[in-house]
Amino acid sequence: MTDLSNQIRESARKLLQQREVELVIGFEQGTLPLRNTPCFIRGQEEAERLIWGSFCDNNLANYLVKRQEKVAIVAKGCDVRAIVELIKEKQVTREQVIIIGIPCQGMVDRRRIEAELEGKEILEVGEGDDKLILKGDGFTRVLNWNEYLYPSCEACTHRNPVIYDILIGDMVEEKATDRYADIAEFETKSPEERWQYISDEASKCIRCYACRNTCPLCYCQECFVDDTHPQWIGKTTNISDTIIFHIMRALHLAGRCVECGACERACPTGVDIRKLNRKLASDVKELFHYEAGISLDQVAPLATFRPDDPEGFMLNP
Amino acid sequence: MKREINDWEPKIVAFLCNWCSYAGADLAGVSRIQYPSNVRIIRVPCSGRINPFFILASLQRGVDGVLVSGCHPGDCHYLTGNYSARRKFALLKNLLEYVGLEEGRVQFSWVSAAEGGRFAEVVARVTERVKALGPAKRLVKR
Amino acid sequence: MKAKIIRKQDIADLLDNLLRKYEVFAPVKRDDLVVCDRIGSGSEAFLDYTNSIKPPKEILFPQSETLFTYSSFDDAANIKVPLSKERPYLLFGIRPCDARSLTLLDKVFNEEKYKDVYYLNRRANMVVVAIGCVKPRATCFCTSVGGGPFSPEGSDLLLADIGDDYIVQVITDKGAKLLEEREAEDAGEDKLALMRKAIREAEASILPQITIDGLKEKLDRVFDDPIWGVLSEKCISCGVCTYLCPTCYCFDIVDEARDSGGERLRIWDSCQFPLFTLQASGVNPRPTNKERYRQRIMHKFSYCIDDYGQIGCVGCGRCVTECPVNLDIRQVLTTISNK
Repeated sequence: MTDLSNQIRESARKLLQQREVELVIGFEQGTLPLRNTPCFIRGQEEAERLIWGSFCDNNLANYLVKRQEKVAIVAKGCDVRAIVELIKEKQVTREQVIIIGIPCQGMVDRRRIEAELEGKEILEVGEGDDKLILKGDGFTRVLNWNEYLYPSCEACTHRNPVIYDILIGDMVEEKATDRYADIAEFETKSPEERWQYISDEASKCIRCYACRNTCPLCYCQECFVDDTHPQWIGKTTNISDTIIFHIMRALHLAGRCVECGACERACPTGVDIRKLNRKLASDVKELFHYEAGISLDQVAPLATFRPDDPEGFMLNP
Repeated sequence: MKREINDWEPKIVAFLCNWCSYAGADLAGVSRIQYPSNVRIIRVPCSGRINPFFILASLQRGVDGVLVSGCHPGDCHYLTGNYSARRKFALLKNLLEYVGLEEGRVQFSWVSAAEGGRFAEVVARVTERVKALGPAKRLVKR
Repeated sequence: MKAKIIRKQDIADLLDNLLRKYEVFAPVKRDDLVVCDRIGSGSEAFLDYTNSIKPPKEILFPQSETLFTYSSFDDAANIKVPLSKERPYLLFGIRPCDARSLTLLDKVFNEEKYKDVYYLNRRANMVVVAIGCVKPRATCFCTSVGGGPFSPEGSDLLLADIGDDYIVQVITDKGAKLLEEREAEDAGEDKLALMRKAIREAEASILPQITIDGLKEKLDRVFDDPIWGVLSEKCISCGVCTYLCPTCYCFDIVDEARDSGGERLRIWDSCQFPLFTLQASGVNPRPTNKERYRQRIMHKFSYCIDDYGQIGCVGCGRCVTECPVNLDIRQVLTTISNK
C-alpha cells in the first residue's frame, strides 16, 4: 500500500504542478485507527497527505457533481463506475475529470473488526502482507485482512477501473462470483419472513439521510423527502414512511446504483440498505441486460425501452 | 348486527390512462357489463404518468389493492409512454413483492378503449385476488 | 447520605423492584447496537457497554412527538393534547456525559418564558442513575469540556464499577430517597478505596484533546476566515452528528393530515440539512456545507455559552466515531484554536 500511496502522491504533484487540474480529491489518514478520510488538495506541496489503504471506503465521486473546475480524482473500481454514470447524466464532463484509477482489493469493514474484538478499543492498526495488526490496551490481534471486507466488496465483480486516465497499481483478477446469489436466496423465503426482515431493518433507521447524502448518484437539489406539495412521505421514523423512503430511494437509483456500498458504510445503525438496491440491480441486469457504470455508451435502462421488453408480470386474463 | 369476515369488501384503486383503459371502462359501463364495484377509478393522461408514489401512497392510506392500466404497447396515445411505464412497472412490482407485499395486491394491465369486456374481466380478477388476500396490513401507515 | 454498595448480580432484581413504581429506561442490546429503551424486566438492562448509539435525550425529547391531534366533526376542531399522567421515569445506567447533557436540555426546554410541557411532563419526576466510565475511550473528551468520567452533573445517583459490585454515590436528595426505599448496604472503606482508585485511573486516562481556554473568543474572531471552507469541504450535510448528539435539540413542527383529521408533530431537525434555513422566498442564508458546519461549531462553542452559560458539547465522541466522512470535531477545534 505504501508504494501505491507514493504513486498517487507523485501523480497528484505532477498534475498540480503542470496545472492540468485545480484540485485533486483523494484520501488521507483519518483521526481514528480504522479510518481514512476524503481530502482536497490544491497545492502540490499538500500531495504528501494523500494515502491509499484498506480504509478508503468513501465514494469520492460524491464530490464531483456540478463542479466547474477540472479535477483529478482518486477512484477505485466502484468509484469509477459512479463517475461513468455521472458523466452519462451530465453532472460532470469526461474532459473535466482526470481519473486516477486504482484496481481495488476491497476495503475493510471496521464494524466487523470491532465486532470481532467484542468492543475492545483498537488504538493502533498496522497493515502487513495480508494481515491487519490491531493493537489496544494490553492486547494485539492479527487478523486476515480479506476476511473482514465490506459485503459490497465481497460481492464486487468490477474491482478494476472501467475507464481511467492514470492507473495506479496493477489490474486485479475479477472474481467470477454470482453476486446476486444471496438475493435469489432471500427470495426463497416466505413473504412474511421477508416482510419481517425488511421491517426489522427499517426500524433501525433514524432518517439521518447519511445514506442518501453519501451516495454519488443521489444529487437532487430537492429530494422527494423534502417535498411538501404534495408530501409524499412523512418525516418521522414511522415504519411505513421509513420503508417507503428506502423503497423509493432504491427505485430512484434503479439502473443507476453501482453497488459501491457507501450507503451501508455511512449508516450509523447498520441498516441493510443494499438489500433493496441489489434486487433492483439484479432485475435490471436480467430484464434489461444493463449494468450501471460499466460503459459510457450504454443508455440508462429507464431512459429507453425495447418494444419487446418483458411483460410476463402483467395481468392478462 | 355482527359483521363476519366474508362481509368485508376490499377497496381497490385503479389508475387508468385516459385514452385507452379509462375509455374501456366507460365502454363497459355503457354496455351494461357487470363488474365488481370495489374499484375506485383515478384517471391519468397516460400510464407513463404513473409515479410509483401513487401506488405506495395508496397502500399507505389503507387501500387493499391497486390496479394500473394503460394502452397496449404500440398503441400509446403519446407514442411511447407505456413503454417507459412497462419498465418501471416491472421493477416496482418485483420490488414490492420482494419486500414481502403480498403478490396480487398491485397489478398492471393493458386494456384498450374497445375492450369493455376485458376491463370488466381484469377488475373481476383483481378483486377476487385481493379479496382472497384480506385487508391490507403491510405498508399501511398507523 | 453515605455511599452504598450493590452487587452486580443484584441489579436485575433491583430494577424489577423499581419497575413496580417507575417507567425504567436502560441500555439494552439490539443485535449489534446498544440503545437506551424502556425495559419490561431487570434482566434486559445491558450495562457492560461503551455508550448507546442514540443519546438518552430521545427519552425526554422523542424523535417524533405528537403535540396534538385534531379531527373535524360537528363544526369543531376537536383538538386533543396527548399529555398523559405517566408513572415517573427512571433513567438507569446512562453515562455521565449523557447525564450532563440533561443540564443543558433543561435550560432549553424549561426557560422562564417558555416551558415545554411535553418535555417537562416526563422530566419532572424523573430520576437519573448514571454509571461512571472506568474505561473511557480514546474518542471521549468529556474532561476537555468541563465534564469527566465520574462527573455527577445531571445525575441523582452515580454508580462506580469496582468489579463484582457497584458503589452508589448519592448526588441529590431525589437519589437519596430512591436508595432509602431500597435498604442498600453502606459501602465499606476498602470498597470506597477501590472506587477512588478507579476514578483516578479513569480521569488520568482521558487525554485533553481540545483547548477550551480562549476558544470562544477565537471563534468569535474567525467567523469570516476561509478556514471554514477548508475544514467543512468533506461534510456531506447529513444528520448523523446532530441526531446522535446528546445536546442537540433543534426541531421542526410538521402537520400530517389524514382525511378530515390529523396531527401536529414535533420532529428532530438538523442544522446540517440544506433546507434547515431555506426561507419561503427561496433565500437560504446557509446555502453550503461551509456555513452550516460553521454554525454547528459556533452554536456549540460560542452561542450556547452566551445563551445558557455552558458549552453545548459534553465530549461523548459519538459524532467522532459515526461521521461518515470522519470529520472530527476535535481536529476542527484544534485547528481553530491554533489560528
